[in-house]
Order: sequence, then structure tokens, then C-alpha cells
Amino acid sequence: MSSLFRITGSALTCALFIVGFSTVSPGAAPHDAQHGNTAQRSEVRIPIGQFSLTDQSGRRFELASIKGKIILVDFAYTTCPDVCPLMTAAMRTVQTNLNATEREKVYLLTVTTDPEIDIPKVLAAYAKRYHADLTNWAFLTGDPSSLSEVWKRFGVKVVRRARGLVDHTPLTAVIDQSGAMRFAYHGGAPDPKVILRDIRSLVRTP
Amino acid sequence: MSLLELKKIWLVVLIALCSCGRNERMDALYAQRCINCHGPSGRGDGPVAASLPVRLTDFRETVERKSVSQIRRAITEGLGMMPAFAPALRPSEISDLVYMVRFLSREGRNIHWWERFDALVVAHCNIPWEAVFDYDQPQEEKKR
Repeated sequence: MSSLFRITGSALTCALFIVGFSTVSPGAAPHDAQHGNTAQRSEVRIPIGQFSLTDQSGRRFELASIKGKIILVDFAYTTCPDVCPLMTAAMRTVQTNLNATEREKVYLLTVTTDPEIDIPKVLAAYAKRYHADLTNWAFLTGDPSSLSEVWKRFGVKVVRRARGLVDHTPLTAVIDQSGAMRFAYHGGAPDPKVILRDIRSLVRTP
Repeated sequence: MSLLELKKIWLVVLIALCSCGRNERMDALYAQRCINCHGPSGRGDGPVAASLPVRLTDFRETVERKSVSQIRRAITEGLGMMPAFAPALRPSEISDLVYMVRFLSREGRNIHWWERFDALVVAHCNIPWEAVFDYDQPQEEKKR
């Protein structure tokens, strides 16, 4: 057996040297995802109501616990190879540009669109990679039924394509102090300056 | 060693030979998970790249200096805005991406002699050695 192994191994090595480097297949087809370089902003007034999910530390998160705050929420998932990183980066830029007074009045939420992968531990690592300040930012997951109810309220459509690969509405939204969605940004790269301007317009409102 | 066993070994080797080097599985996986940012040739010119706040590097400039384990770590654990793919992909898929990155990094530049061994490593990884040499069978069964 061992001599056969040596013979097989040698034959394999020789053969690989001869043919190994010529088996290059044609280039891959481009990804068919849609990439909006800028997000479409729209003013709306949609009551969101209450919901309860799980945050990145595994604790229960009640929307009621941040009642009266302005909420910037986006829908993303951690293994997204598309626009979610842009959305999370925009959220991070907004957070860093809030002044101390605004930070007390504004809360950020990232709601996953892929609960299969995004368990609290994965969300915590994701938050860390983006240097998210978790004092006013929570990354939320939950069971599929609770999450689909939340997606539905925001008008977010989610279609699973493969493990860790999901098509979803790229929504970032601002919820006012009364719990109504007021601004929606549909697209992969929401402009943090526009979001900040909209948030500040709400902060000024008593 | 029976003729049947001999045929089995050569069949496995033949499959490995066919699957060494860059293959369609790697291309499909790369197109699915990486191409949006890294672009079709790994030059950092995918459709999402222009909107990123950071400039993506060209694989041809950086991968040459990275070990397989460094590339694997970046793919599994993520790097900055790059997603961590460990929860979503199987180890064999991660390996496919590692070698795809290395194959892309070699396009259009002079490659070092040691980089020529990548196809061998891929082929070696593709051979189910435990099946070829019955590693997974208890000793008693082998004796029988």
C-alpha cells in the first residue's frame, strides 16, 4: 500500500505540473445586484408601533425603552457582499457627527435581515469592526417571525438566496419622537449629511 | 490491493486533477461574495467600490506578500468593512476563495516560483484522503 501511495503521489505530482496551470475557466458573470450610489430620500409619516427583539449582547430590546427618542434605523446583514457595509458606514458617520446634546436624543438601530447567520455574537463582532458606540446604537436580531413583522412594518422585503446571502430592500429610516417613520432613504449609500440634517430638524422640534 | 481499490484511487486522483487550478466553482463563489467590491479581476474596481470610504487594494499589489493563513483570516473574520464570511461559508468554500484570490493576484504580473505550487495545494485539498486510505474505518473492519 505504501509503495502504491508513493507511485500514486509521484504520478499526481508530475501530472499536476503538466496540466495544473492550464485549467483556467472563463471569467465570472457580473453580479446582478442593483447599486444605487445615492439613496432616494422620501418624507413619510408611518406609525411604527412597538416591537421587541434581541440585541448584540443577547438581551431583550424593547423599542418602548427608547420612547421619545429620534431613531435612525437601517436594515442590513453582516455577511452582505453588497451595499450593507455602505449603509452601516453611513450610520457610523452619523453617530460620530452627533454632538453631545444630540446623542442624548438620538438612538441608532441596525435590524438584521438574516437571522440565520446574525446571532448576537456575530452582531457584536460586526459592531466592533465598525467601531460602533453601543451607548446609543443597538444591533438587533430575533426569531424569523418577530423579525418579519418588523420588516413588514417598515416595508422591507427580504428574500433568502443562499446561506449568508439575502436580497432585501436597502432601507435607512428616521423615526421621530412620537414613533412615526418620517424620513426614508432607499438605496445603498445614504448621504450622512442629509440624514444629519433631517435628524437635526426633528431635534429642533419640541 | 485489489484491482477495484486501484481503480478507486485513480478515479479520485483523476477528479483531483480535473479540479486543480482555478475552476468554475471558485469563479461562481467569487462572483457571489466578492466581485461587487473587489471587481472581476481583483483590482478593487467593483460597482460598490467607488462608494466605499476606503480605497480597495489591488490583489496584484498586496496578496503576493500575504500568506494563505493571512488571506484565510481576512475572509473568515472580516477586515474593516469587509464582511466576516466564517458564519456563512463552509471551510471548503473559504479555501476556494483563498485560492481564487491568489489566482487573481497572479494575473498580469511575473509570479514567483513558489506561487506555482498553488494548484498542487488546491488539488491536494480536493482529494478525500480519508476515503482513499480508509482512515475513517476502524482497524477491525480493515482487517476483515
